[in-house]
Amino acid sequence: MNGILVIAKKEIRQLTHNTQLMVSALIMAFIFGAISGPALIATGGTGAGVGIDSLVFTFALMIGLLIGYILSGQTFLREKQEGTIETLLAGPLPIKDIWLGKVIGVLIPAYILTLASTALMIIIAGSLRGDILIPSGPIILHLVTVVPAFIACGVGVLGFIQLLLGMRENQIINVGVIFGLIFLISFSRELLGPGFTISWAGEGLILVITGGLLLAVNAMTRFLNKERIVRSIP
Amino acid sequence: MKRRALSHFPVRITENDQGSRCLMNEYNSNNSIEVRSVTKNFQGSQVLDGISFSVGRGEVFGFLGPNGAGKTTTLRILLGLLRPDSGEALVLGKSLDTADAQRKRVGVLFENNGLIDRFTARENLRYYAELYEVSDIEKRISELLEYVGLSDRGDDLVGIFSTGMKRKLGLARAILHKPDILFLDEPSSGLDPEGQKMVHDLIVGLSGQSMTIFLNSHNLDEVSRVCSKVAILHHGTIQAYDSIERLRAGPSGSEITITLSDPALGDRAVAMINALPCVTSTLQEHGHIKVTLSGQSGSAVLEALITGGFGVEEAVRQKRTLEEIYLDVVREAGGILGNPESVAIQEKGSVKV
Repeated sequence: MNGILVIAKKEIRQLTHNTQLMVSALIMAFIFGAISGPALIATGGTGAGVGIDSLVFTFALMIGLLIGYILSGQTFLREKQEGTIETLLAGPLPIKDIWLGKVIGVLIPAYILTLASTALMIIIAGSLRGDILIPSGPIILHLVTVVPAFIACGVGVLGFIQLLLGMRENQIINVGVIFGLIFLISFSRELLGPGFTISWAGEGLILVITGGLLLAVNAMTRFLNKERIVRSIP
Repeated sequence: MKRRALSHFPVRITENDQGSRCLMNEYNSNNSIEVRSVTKNFQGSQVLDGISFSVGRGEVFGFLGPNGAGKTTTLRILLGLLRPDSGEALVLGKSLDTADAQRKRVGVLFENNGLIDRFTARENLRYYAELYEVSDIEKRISELLEYVGLSDRGDDLVGIFSTGMKRKLGLARAILHKPDILFLDEPSSGLDPEGQKMVHDLIVGLSGQSMTIFLNSHNLDEVSRVCSKVAILHHGTIQAYDSIERLRAGPSGSEITITLSDPALGDRAVAMINALPCVTSTLQEHGHIKVTLSGQSGSAVLEALITGGFGVEEAVRQKRTLEEIYLDVVREAGGILGNPESVAIQEKGSVKV
């Protein structure tokens, strides 16, 4: 098996073996999903797609980032705290492959939970309105392409920071990230307004921008440095 | 009467000169490890100051030094985890910093064992086996669990293992892919005497399989049991570097204890021995004469005694322990007086330095 996939598989197993962490992530996903559904109804919106589109567009991105953030702490920081990262760095995989394997290992469960949370939000909103809500085509494309790519970017940057910085710096950054994300999720609908819709062309442009972000994060990994990681092991 | 100087042990870097010459030469394929004039600074503090040494294929090499001497830094440089400021550290002829594939030929056991507590012993070994692309994984895992005596605990979570069991499993993990070189960082640290013996037996067993072993330790007993060659690092420089046998013989020769048939002739015998050019010092105590020689052979002294008509009941060559060698080396380098931790340990008479 490819080394990147070996790391990814291990990370997924390790995350799913951590009951406490998984329960926290699930609660987070379902609480935000459950409270966002009624919020959608409260702010109105007409038609099946209108209203749901504006919420799904930002909600999926933000909840994905939040869950990715929760899981990345276990994947990147914990391995560093326990010192097992040193054994991994002394192994045959290049540092970038290790990073990528970990990002994939976080992305997969984070994306699954994001979809579940988004689905819950749509179902709750639909049942409150007595209707079946179906997001528009561009938003479905958004969910299957932009959302996972965006989560990968976020987890990649977080992992990069968590690997390179010391524990104290990471603690400071963590506080900023968690408050920032909760704020964004809470106000995600207000960011775009209830009448927000997106065209296929608009979604295509966002996809291109996200692809550019992925490339930028990939380029950033050139600065991953074993010495920095080893010297910041507590 | 000449008395042996308290601190006569000079810095002994017998093979370091060879190491320096290596700078002008190509990689010596008989060596698994070559370190050439490596320096390393951390925030203005010189951690390694131009160290050079080599480890031959199949050797069990002990890298000794007190805490903070630079042992772990050297190990990390060898493993490619840190970059030297100058010089080079080659493992199997290449720097592991850049040679990703070469790292498959290397096994490493750090103090934390590199194990995942939430996985079972088998899951841990399977993960690393997949990472190192080991063939016939399940068979190899069973073999190793058997080898380290954990075959009945393979399906237990590592988190509930004792320190000794984790160390055994860590060792199994490190040799899973049959490396050519094994780096061990304080392998018996935190283990009870039984656990230490088990680790020593495993190391001796591995050395019998032609594996080169680099043992980073401050446990002198451990090093003297399993290593054939040592380097003693202190204040970032190598203070002694040789085979244990040669270090034990002493830098200025060996020491022999002579018991005369007639102890009353001791003073006359000592006067005669002192006149010999190969003798550095003598000390008469409890009916024995301790003679320190400038060379390795004590036969000239025995010949002189017998020719002079002295009956020699017994002559025993004295060898210094690794602990004595180590303490002498560190004392010569100013470590004993300057390092409170070393002083405390010396007073307790522990072998751990």
